[in-house]
Amino acid sequence: MFKRRNWEARMNKELEFHLESLIADYKAQGLTQAQAEQQARLDFGAMELAKDECRDQKPANWLDNLTRDIRYTARTLSRNPGFAIAAILTFALGIGANTAIFSVVYAALIKPLPYAIPDQIYSAEVALPERPSMPVPVQAFLEWRKSETVFSAIAALRPWECSLSGDGEPERLGGAKVSTNFFSFLGVPVARGRDFAAAEEQPGNDRVIVISDALWRRRYGAGPAVIGKSIDINGESHQIIGVAAPSLLVPTGTLLNPILAFAPRVDIWKPIAPTSRDLQNESWDHGIFVRLRPDARLEQGRQQFQSILTAFYRTVAPGASITFKINLLPVREVYAGKLRLRLLFVLAAAALLLLTACTNIANLFLARLASRSTEFATRVALGAGRARLLSQTLTETTVLALAGAAFGIILATNSAALLSKLAGEDLQLLAAPPLNLPALLFALFAAVVTGVACGLFPALHTPNMQDSARITGTSTRFRQVLIGVEMALGTALLATTGLLIHSFVKVINADRGYQIERILSVDLSLFGPRYGPAASRVAFYRDATDNLRAIPGITAAGAISDSPAANSSSGASRTIFHPTDTDFQHTVFMRPVAMVRAVTSGYFAASGTALRAGRHFESQEPAPTALISESLARNLWPNEPLPSVIGRGIRQGNVTGPVITIAGVVEDVRPGAADRESPPVIYRPHSQWASGPATLFIRTAQDPATLAPAVREAIRGMDANLPIPAIRTMREIVLESVSQRRFQLILTSLFALLALLLGAIGVYGVVSYSVECRTREIGLRMALGAMRADILRWIISTGMKPVFIGLTVGLAAAIVMARLLRSQLFGVTPTDPISLGAVVLVLLATSTLACYLPARRAARLDPLTALRH
Amino acid sequence: MARHTEKAPGDAELLQGTLDMLILKVAALRPIHGYAIVQRIQQISREALQIRQGSLYPALYRLENQGLLKSDWGKTETGREAKYYSLTKAGRKHFEAETAGWKRLCDAVSLVLESAE
Repeated sequence: MFKRRNWEARMNKELEFHLESLIADYKAQGLTQAQAEQQARLDFGAMELAKDECRDQKPANWLDNLTRDIRYTARTLSRNPGFAIAAILTFALGIGANTAIFSVVYAALIKPLPYAIPDQIYSAEVALPERPSMPVPVQAFLEWRKSETVFSAIAALRPWECSLSGDGEPERLGGAKVSTNFFSFLGVPVARGRDFAAAEEQPGNDRVIVISDALWRRRYGAGPAVIGKSIDINGESHQIIGVAAPSLLVPTGTLLNPILAFAPRVDIWKPIAPTSRDLQNESWDHGIFVRLRPDARLEQGRQQFQSILTAFYRTVAPGASITFKINLLPVREVYAGKLRLRLLFVLAAAALLLLTACTNIANLFLARLASRSTEFATRVALGAGRARLLSQTLTETTVLALAGAAFGIILATNSAALLSKLAGEDLQLLAAPPLNLPALLFALFAAVVTGVACGLFPALHTPNMQDSARITGTSTRFRQVLIGVEMALGTALLATTGLLIHSFVKVINADRGYQIERILSVDLSLFGPRYGPAASRVAFYRDATDNLRAIPGITAAGAISDSPAANSSSGASRTIFHPTDTDFQHTVFMRPVAMVRAVTSGYFAASGTALRAGRHFESQEPAPTALISESLARNLWPNEPLPSVIGRGIRQGNVTGPVITIAGVVEDVRPGAADRESPPVIYRPHSQWASGPATLFIRTAQDPATLAPAVREAIRGMDANLPIPAIRTMREIVLESVSQRRFQLILTSLFALLALLLGAIGVYGVVSYSVECRTREIGLRMALGAMRADILRWIISTGMKPVFIGLTVGLAAAIVMARLLRSQLFGVTPTDPISLGAVVLVLLATSTLACYLPARRAARLDPLTALRH
Repeated sequence: MARHTEKAPGDAELLQGTLDMLILKVAALRPIHGYAIVQRIQQISREALQIRQGSLYPALYRLENQGLLKSDWGKTETGREAKYYSLTKAGRKHFEAETAGWKRLCDAVSLVLESAE
């Protein structure tokens, strides 16, 4: 603008100079001032005309053109607000959905993790042929740490269950034991107090904890006095030395390793301080982080770790010929690995929605182009260049797209909270989507690209704008092509969604090997000196289940040390040996590992897990007894019938322990997310494996939620110091365990529905328009004797033709897509007839309705009026 | 292209292309401002060619826009600021080509006129 004013001033100055020179010359010839001025003006001619002609010669400024186009756009759109609103809303939906999803994808997959130089950090795990992803024993950590490797630092962590008591309401919290360098390793120093000292990894010095910022705020009111305070954890006094940074991100759940189960939130950290007893036993339960030196090769580090571990194992078990393989995963994989596919799937669904929206808008534009064909033809005739017309159309679509993007961003911002609520715990850690700059840039980019695409497409397809009849003709045909495309996109999206929905239903209703309806569940953990003797723990759970069974409405109650619904197991797992095995080191890696689950005698009656052979536990089991899961039985004795297993012996965890007699075989159980593997399980009577933590299974005759207060009352009555977490129905727990799948499903369904809606609007628009264009033809047909039903049939069948084509193409595309995404399906094939059939029905019904409405209008036309149209 | 006007030969309005050529011719000698261009053209043509002076400027702007002329602000002998035009390389080439074409046209026209006499 400034430049423009400058240009104008210079032009004025130049013309002024000319006029003045002319006047001066005339005066020199003897004319008076007035005469000279008059003569000069006569010679010069009209000043304003000259200026205008000069302005016309000014090089065309793109900015001027743009301003003119935008002004023109604003004018035309304000004359047609319905069209503008429809287009802006469509853009807003498409761009908003994509921006929201992109902001989650960005947070989860792209944004640097909140660690110092996160690219250097890897997670290390051991791989054996039959156990591809194992945590490591503390000995391996110590060996690796003391050796010279390409890694500049190494840190270890493992899950630690905490029951907090002594100050206020008892509470069960997620904790982790970590190497003392954990916080400095990640580069996230504690926010308050001090970090662990190296000496605190000595047993006896390790009664110090760092708590999370969230716990500090929630339980201790964010007061400074918390540093140095002593609190009771699992009945032992610990001193709080620090508060972690609010931004600290640590692996939760089974993110780090499928066998290592951290709590959904980790609030307490304590140093790993292996006692001499710990160092004699092998407990494969430590996760390892390493930091690679900047110029070092990862492969070299892998081999160093491999040989160190193998060499160490040879010293422990001479003669054992085990070669360990080490896997090193970038830390990003820990957080994003399992999510990546689901997120990208949702992003793809959003992109399909945006494509559908674009097609719809292109369609709207074509319709408008046709209705404005006379205007365009006139303008071409008056000399408007094609490029100018094109740039005008592009400006129009881009302005609409930008306006749509603005609304879309508002939409995305408002849905961000909803998104993180929808996402499971795994996602919540990463997604901080108060809309970020990259997402905004993404929205802007999407707006410009879609705006240009929507404008370019129809404009290029009307080759000769001079001929208004041809514009109408080509655009009608082209619009049908667009409807076909839109239908294909919508079908693909809807069909994939159908498969996901069917998978979800199958996952929810899958036979897990335990009931989920009318079951209450609560996790308890006994701690402290009161429960030191095993007999007191046994007595507690026996009495608790007896008390619960006495509550009216409760039909069965039992306890299990480790809930089968958990997607991971926090409980113990042990190698199961044959009684004939004598050499531990030689056989340990050949025998199956099973989860050890202690159950009270009432458990199976409550859970409904079916007995395959043998008998259930009695209330008294004097001799070492076990029930084993079907998969464990088949693993130990392949090809033998299940009843033959009863009465055989096994050893658990050791070749020297007592021989345990198998009393029965029960069906396999699947975790809540039923698409995961069923682990082999060995069940022991709680009296023989008296675990402190246990999950109560309570079967009710009525709505289970109504009994929760009574259950809480009964437990509180037994021990007021025992933390009682939320009592939830099994159905809730199972739903939560499939939260990732649900997240994916809800978003994809939403996008598919929107795409369906857009498709229906598109069909409706095209058919209505063609009815309008053909009013006279319809009148003629009626005058010639066509019945209303004929007209109806004729219009619907014309309208449905592109729908059928799009449907076929879309179905084929969906089947190809589903094949690629087989891992996301559960219990359905990519060609699942139920899902695909339902999708076809829905699509046909919707588009028939979209055709029927304008067709009915056509059929109701009065032939005489129509003919005069 | 050409505007058909019925006017006395002495008061001849310039054909558009002709004005361009005259401007280029005048500006070819040295940098010159708009007023001086008018003066020169009238001087050279011995007042036979009358230019509506206001129409000079659109022509100048067009030629500058086409890259045939370039302009600079400078001082006149009387110390006033004025915009001076001079030929660019492309302008010189264009001028030469146009002159040659004009000559051929003139020769052809006179040949026809003479033989008809």
